[in-house]
Amino acid sequence: MSTGKQLVSMITVTLLLAAPSKAKELDFVHDVMPILKTYCGKCHTGEKKEGGLSMNTREQLLAGGEGGKSIAVGHANKSSFLTRLTTDDPFTRMPPEGPRVPADKIAVLERWIETGLPWEQGITLGISSWEPPLKPRVITLPPPTNNRNHPIDRILDHDLSSRELTPPAAISDAAFYRRVSLDTVGQLPPPASLLAFMENPDKDKRRQLIDSLLADDVAYADHWLTMWNDLLRNDYTGTGFITKGRTQITTWLYESLRINKPYDVLVQELISPTPESAGFINGIKWRGEVNSSQTLEIQFAQNVSQVFLGINMKCASCHDSFIDRWTLSEAYNLAAIYSEQPLELNRCDKPTGVMATPKWMFPEIGDVDPKAPKPERLKQLASLMTHPDNGRFTRTIANRLWHRLMGRGIVHPVDAMHTKPWNEDLLDYLALRFADDGYDLRQFIRFIMTSEAYQSQTVILESEPGEDYFYTGPIAKRMSAEQFLDAIWQITGTNPTKATAKVDRAQRRPANTPDTPESPSGIARPPITAKWIWHDGSGSMKAELRKTFKLESKPNAAMVLATCDNAFNMKVNGTVVATSRDWQAPVLFDISPHLKSGDNTIEVAGEMFGGSAGFIAQIVLQGDTIKVINTDKSWEVRKPDGKWNEATEVHSYGNGPWSKVLDGKPVTPGLSAANGPPVRASLMQNDFLMRSLGRPHRDQVVTTRPSELTTLQAIDLANNEILTNYLAGGAQRIKANAKTSDELIDWLYLYAFSRKPTPGERPILTEVVGDGTNVVAIEDLLWMIFMQPEFQIVR
Amino acid sequence: MTSKEYLARRQFLKQLSSASAAALACGGVTALNATQGAEHPEAKADSCILIWMAGGMAAPDTFDPKAYSPFEKGLAVDNILSTFPAIDTAVDNIKITKGLENVASVMDRATLIRSAIQPDLGSILHSRHQYHWHTGYVPPLTVAAPHIGAWMAKVLGPKNPVIPPFINIGQRLEGVGEKEELKAFTTAGFFGSEFGPMNLPFPQDAVRSVQPPKGMEPGRFSNRYRHYRKLVDQNPHRELISDFQQESMLRSMDAAHRLLQSKEKHAFDLTREPKESYERYDTGRFGRGCLLARRLVEEGARFVEVTTEYIPFIHWDTHENGHSTVARVKQEIDRPIAQLILDLEARGLLDRTLVVIASEFSRDMMIEGVPGSTARDQSRAPSKTLEEPKHYGLHRHFTGGTSVVMFGGGTKKGFLYGKTADQRPLLAVENPVSVMDLHATIFTAMGISPQTAFEVEKRPFYATRDGHGKPVLDIFA
Repeated sequence: MSTGKQLVSMITVTLLLAAPSKAKELDFVHDVMPILKTYCGKCHTGEKKEGGLSMNTREQLLAGGEGGKSIAVGHANKSSFLTRLTTDDPFTRMPPEGPRVPADKIAVLERWIETGLPWEQGITLGISSWEPPLKPRVITLPPPTNNRNHPIDRILDHDLSSRELTPPAAISDAAFYRRVSLDTVGQLPPPASLLAFMENPDKDKRRQLIDSLLADDVAYADHWLTMWNDLLRNDYTGTGFITKGRTQITTWLYESLRINKPYDVLVQELISPTPESAGFINGIKWRGEVNSSQTLEIQFAQNVSQVFLGINMKCASCHDSFIDRWTLSEAYNLAAIYSEQPLELNRCDKPTGVMATPKWMFPEIGDVDPKAPKPERLKQLASLMTHPDNGRFTRTIANRLWHRLMGRGIVHPVDAMHTKPWNEDLLDYLALRFADDGYDLRQFIRFIMTSEAYQSQTVILESEPGEDYFYTGPIAKRMSAEQFLDAIWQITGTNPTKATAKVDRAQRRPANTPDTPESPSGIARPPITAKWIWHDGSGSMKAELRKTFKLESKPNAAMVLATCDNAFNMKVNGTVVATSRDWQAPVLFDISPHLKSGDNTIEVAGEMFGGSAGFIAQIVLQGDTIKVINTDKSWEVRKPDGKWNEATEVHSYGNGPWSKVLDGKPVTPGLSAANGPPVRASLMQNDFLMRSLGRPHRDQVVTTRPSELTTLQAIDLANNEILTNYLAGGAQRIKANAKTSDELIDWLYLYAFSRKPTPGERPILTEVVGDGTNVVAIEDLLWMIFMQPEFQIVR
Repeated sequence: MTSKEYLARRQFLKQLSSASAAALACGGVTALNATQGAEHPEAKADSCILIWMAGGMAAPDTFDPKAYSPFEKGLAVDNILSTFPAIDTAVDNIKITKGLENVASVMDRATLIRSAIQPDLGSILHSRHQYHWHTGYVPPLTVAAPHIGAWMAKVLGPKNPVIPPFINIGQRLEGVGEKEELKAFTTAGFFGSEFGPMNLPFPQDAVRSVQPPKGMEPGRFSNRYRHYRKLVDQNPHRELISDFQQESMLRSMDAAHRLLQSKEKHAFDLTREPKESYERYDTGRFGRGCLLARRLVEEGARFVEVTTEYIPFIHWDTHENGHSTVARVKQEIDRPIAQLILDLEARGLLDRTLVVIASEFSRDMMIEGVPGSTARDQSRAPSKTLEEPKHYGLHRHFTGGTSVVMFGGGTKKGFLYGKTADQRPLLAVENPVSVMDLHATIFTAMGISPQTAFEVEKRPFYATRDGHGKPVLDIFA
């Protein structure tokens, strides 16, 4: 039975089964296992069971074989296991042929039996008989069931029916939107967009939603940066930076995600890097002496094999691995590709005198030229890694992405790619599909998301799944620290103003559009007739402006060209789409992803720092026809907390202190994060709250974060000052947008859970929030919502 | 399991307090380790306080006096072994140095190890040595190693389920030099943060960590939680989320709120200490940390570390003015350490509480650093003679012979173990104790086998490296 707490993924208790002796304790792994492997392994380990005797595990060895028990624990002289190793009888001697076990090793085995046959649990001599294939494999898709044609569904439905199970039920539109939005861009669906989506009768709307989320390149990069930073051990602060022993790849990585760089190209650039992407293979250079398994060369071998191939070379960097087939020399040969100098093998930190040859692990595909200089060797390794015949490469990434979206890897843990997948056909199909689609990460995510399987209900599991896992449906995921904070910032509007990560988040014009003043977006931009608008200028340096308009259908493009003296931020249907603090650098961006058929609202919060004030915008909507929305007195304006009035037209365009600032080369939002959408948690340096919620210290590659909330984390959630400030700030903002108590509750529930409260919940909520005017009550309500398991879990 | 049984179990889990859940989670491992190994003494300690002298406490100026030379202009640097004179202690054959008079008076409760040694990880690498000392492993590693406190939290679990099992007092992890390096070992590593430290850098503010957020009345706080629980129970998705995700989350929330509303939380509140007693400890932040440690252990904390705080070039990281710095730090630590021992004893807790005073390495000589080092404030006294008071004091990092003091927890009383040479180099010449064996000793005192192992990435990871740590059995009573 699981109580949750005792089950921590990947960690199981290993108990030593024997009492230690007075003499130097036997170390099973280092003292005994090599003897068993050398002299008994050929016939009694793995699939081999000569005479019915297997030595794969302690239990199997104790069970004995056809001749009965071979070991009497504590009594070496009564154990045929030992006597047959020493006897001269040619019929019973072991091994039956070849060299005998030397006396010193017999002594070790004797002591091993005498001291109780200590054997570390979890260690097996039976290397899985399943050897992962290297080459990609074409599979034949099973026929569809119930018209579920998506290849993933064909495979999974077949898998389920072979176990007499039925596929899980489909999820609602609302649940789908929340899941797909958190999985794609790491954000909650804003209530207005959610309601519009739910009302949209279009049968194809889910696919359209997936497409529009994936098209939001900045939000996509903001979200996936977290996973890639973990995976590539990249961070903005951390061990090693202090001594310049480490460099970031942030700018390069973010841009690669933004432009959806094909994965094979991305990996080539990591293995055979430019200075911008070199931080990954260069590892962390530690001050002082380090263990030979942690030199830069060995870090290279470990990280490259783990991240791209799901191979754990950590064992093999000290000695031949006990858990898979990798050897010390394979680890060092891989390291030698990176090494500037000839590299000597060290076994368990002791030099062996043997030199490594630059080679990689799969010569079937080809190999590096050991005589080539290092940059050339890295280049060769990069192309071997991404070689079309390297199915291990594509399976590894396909599995990682499946894990992210479906809650558990097809091979799990995701770094143990030598273990058998629960469905080989599925993994092989996905891997090949990924390659066939041009190693396109976003296309692959889209492919999974468009399956019925992804769009079905998460399963309720007895306990955290283990090795006997089989598929019954998607598994819910715990929000990452970053998702959790992003979601809180969305609702409370308390995003930090400045990102730590140096990344380009500026909105870009759609691809293939000419860069001319006349048609900056590819849409013929008419002459600007918009007016500078503001309130009457008295009383407040701030102005809130809004405009509501009806659309027959969602436009293909809607380019906004706007500026404000001095600063503004703009929301479209509740979503922040732009912020700017420089009136001389007008922003140009597409708001069409946020528009819908029916009523749309643009809200602008403007601020002047002194001097003149005014906001101007021209919005060109391109659907079947071109439509233009200009700032003019048809907009409404109010001072903070004031009444809405008709906007004042302060000046015509071209007049006033601003001349023709929108003409000339329109400036897209600048390179600073201040000009992009609100700052996201992935771009911030790790802080106390995020660390306590599981964001790792990125010294090592991290591929799976903890799935559980701990008591210490819960204490932080109860009284952490950072979080408390977000709640307080959020409550102020929410109250300022004052609505009735019911509207406020509905809005919060829609935002947080993508649903309205049930009749059971509403009275409690009403009791908490009263008439909706008490900031303290709103603050407490926010906390209660954010702490719900339903909020913190992506279902 | 039928669906009825399944639902009944869900119900059971929901009602299960986190206390019993924690006991369930931890019981098995504890029992096995405690009974393992006939050669080991029966564990007497069930709490541990590590008094961490961060920055390198010079043994010849503290617990291992050598020939004393007062400051004198023109003194040959090579002849200076100790800059403090030796003083008597409560034990005839043990002398320590001036400035530690209060500690001297309780040395009859102590085991003093003078022969702890460390590997040479380079000359100026405090944080690497601290990592090594706190985890038993030399960084870097391929997996994140757990802190010794996390081992205790993981293997033994909380002693009082309300009090977090691993509490770290006095070390800031933000705004100080080498903070990233400190964070790298101030963690439960691959055990996961359930077993990680509760960090209380400022003892006088510790109570804030177990209080409602600033400005929130207790009534509002408990109301918030009460309404929250009501909402959880009304949540339509309650039955649709897997237990291992939801129930563990709710249990942790519950455990947190039980601590924050418990009587035990008062242990964190130093203002509740009687004034007289408070003042006996109040030599500064470290002294108050000792008081906090005592209060927490009284309420059932499992492992508490109290540090003088590592900040490069401050406190025990003595550089210029080494002698006067050490004199000042001694003033800060002497009274509270002695008071801690006396208070634990008076409360009958000393026998079951292992108190360890340790540092990442010792110091020797006036010169320091490595040729070409650019570390600031290095007083690489160029001359062979002492010219200025600011150069007086031991600076050079020394890993060949370090003092460790243990009190209580089943260790011998008034016992001296190991010895260093009386002339340079001041190496351990008798019974050297490695970091690994020191860990084995501490673990053994706490009833944890040094061979305890957990699996990570399919490999065993041991409490002491490869399970090879040997406890120093001589020091156990």
